[in-house]
Amino acid sequence: MSAASTTFAAQPRRGFRGFYVLMLAPALVLLLGLYVLPLFGVVLISVTEPRPGLGNYELLLTSASVQRALWTTGRIAVLTTLITLILGYIVAYAMRMASEGAQRWMLFCVLFPFWISVLVRSFAWITLLRSEGVLNTALRGTGLIEEPLMLVRNETGVLIGMVHAMLPYAILTLYANMRGIDLRLMTAARGLGAGPVAAFLRVFLPMTRPGILGATVLVFIISLGFYVTPAILGGGRTLMIAEYVALQINETLRWGLGTMLATTLGISVMGIMWLMSRVLDVKRLFGPA
Amino acid sequence: MTQEPAQDHLDALDHFRERTEGRVIDRRGFLAICAAIGMPAGLARLTPAAAQGTNRELVLVNWGGDAVRGMRAHFVEPYIRANPGRRVAIDGTGPSSGRIRLMVQSGRVTWDVMDRNLHTALELGRENILEDIDYAIVDRSKVRPEHANQWGIGNYTYAHVLTYNTRRWGGRVPTTWKDVWDLRGFPGRRAFRRTIDGALEAALMADGVAKESIYPIDMKRALDGHKAIKNQTIYYNAIAEGQAAFRDNEVQLGLLLNTRSWPLKNDTNGVCDYTFNEGIVWVAAWMVPKGAQGGRAIWEFIASTQEPQRQIELLRSNGYGPVNPAASAALPEDLRPLDPGREENYARMLPGGVAWYAEHATNALQQYLDAISS
Repeated sequence: MSAASTTFAAQPRRGFRGFYVLMLAPALVLLLGLYVLPLFGVVLISVTEPRPGLGNYELLLTSASVQRALWTTGRIAVLTTLITLILGYIVAYAMRMASEGAQRWMLFCVLFPFWISVLVRSFAWITLLRSEGVLNTALRGTGLIEEPLMLVRNETGVLIGMVHAMLPYAILTLYANMRGIDLRLMTAARGLGAGPVAAFLRVFLPMTRPGILGATVLVFIISLGFYVTPAILGGGRTLMIAEYVALQINETLRWGLGTMLATTLGISVMGIMWLMSRVLDVKRLFGPA
Repeated sequence: MTQEPAQDHLDALDHFRERTEGRVIDRRGFLAICAAIGMPAGLARLTPAAAQGTNRELVLVNWGGDAVRGMRAHFVEPYIRANPGRRVAIDGTGPSSGRIRLMVQSGRVTWDVMDRNLHTALELGRENILEDIDYAIVDRSKVRPEHANQWGIGNYTYAHVLTYNTRRWGGRVPTTWKDVWDLRGFPGRRAFRRTIDGALEAALMADGVAKESIYPIDMKRALDGHKAIKNQTIYYNAIAEGQAAFRDNEVQLGLLLNTRSWPLKNDTNGVCDYTFNEGIVWVAAWMVPKGAQGGRAIWEFIASTQEPQRQIELLRSNGYGPVNPAASAALPEDLRPLDPGREENYARMLPGGVAWYAEHATNALQQYLDAISS
């Protein structure tokens, strides 16, 4: 080990860098060959099928069907982001204020759902929330409600499933950001006469702005591409863009339309990322360097 | 049909074996896989066909689950017994139009026989991605005239039937689609599939359109029907999902395939039931992708499935209706109520419009999904 490092250290600086570039090469080749290249194929189909030109992109402006799917996707993504951020912020804040030991446990609980597939989680929600499910049966048993609450197989169900899936992303992003905040600043604020609410609103909250922005963008972008959750929890009536694309590829065979939407989604996401990188120092987002 | 987990596991093994026995994986690749998973090649009697120099096998593609077991037992095994040395592997991953089109366009056709339906055969045949049925070997007279065309030959009948929970309305049960659209008279959650076949016809019948005038389908009228009930309706994707929704009492009435309504009735001890009244009856069909490698054996296999006895056995195990009228006529007493093709059942139903679907299915599906997606 030490022999090897001396050998490398003896190399001139340029060769040294070349070696690292070489180590990157297999991953780069894989990415280029199996990801970037087919992606260009997708873009190509979107401007060549069924006939060359921008006819498919015109549908963005003219097709009520496409617009409805886009609107549904946007609305659900915004709502998911909003709810996730509020719930996630509360949890992240509680984690930051808890003792070290408790923080570890809380982190474990946040991460735990990550290890379960989205498919399984969606079906679990059905079992819990359907009209004869665990929750409705319990509520009716206690006499709180007479008719079962419609919590799944509709847009409410989609939101519940998506917020659940997105929470770890929001919590971890916010928590990483909050860890970088010196809590003594809060004490100082209190010492200077601020009440607990004012100390939070005027000292803590502004310092978490990068975290909030980062989590918002992250959650929003991932929400745009949800596929399994709406398909299972939506009762067949929530057609989001990912499923819409799958439909065009598998069923209606309008590959031009499908690839156009995939391309549009891809470009939108990259656009949002670019905007975020302009506003935010991405490195600072995940805690102090 | 709830499957035991162990059964699923066996299915997966079977599936793997069948895929490896074909030309999907050659001998060297096969041995490499065995080595990689640390298993001696002889252990599971996994013997790649290519390695033994036997006849090339056929690959039959259907929709998985019980269909794999049923078709293996009643179509494939009798065929192999009659033709020793031949092999037929069943791939249950589903011959969807997108996959067929991709396979034929890529020029690497690994499927031989596909279990689909007549209107898709008409639609894809016109796109020139299916082989013509060889009626020199396949017997056209063994199906009804409306159950055969240039690119597809019927293999079994099935129907979209009105399925309901018998306990929900104090002894009353829905008997027509009008009842399903009667939200006051029959309150409860509805179920329809997220595909158009059956769903459009049901909406039109509920709106008072006579059976003879259903086709060509008035899309606006059918979609208005669904818009009126969609808030009370679960639109399921997989057919098994619909079956489970009935079983778990998530829905109380709606449309289901007769092949699922029958096991549903058994599973629930008759709490859920169905009627052929106003059902929409279809024919599944064998189709062959353009450029299939199986040659004459493909047509000989298809011809072998026209045997009445084999179709009767498939009805018994899977609820698939015999497409050969001779088989329907020869049914034992206990199977008659299950068979959509049996004259007294067939007469109460609407034969699905093959020609209309071949032409309009794609656009209509998109319109339907747009209408039900709020």
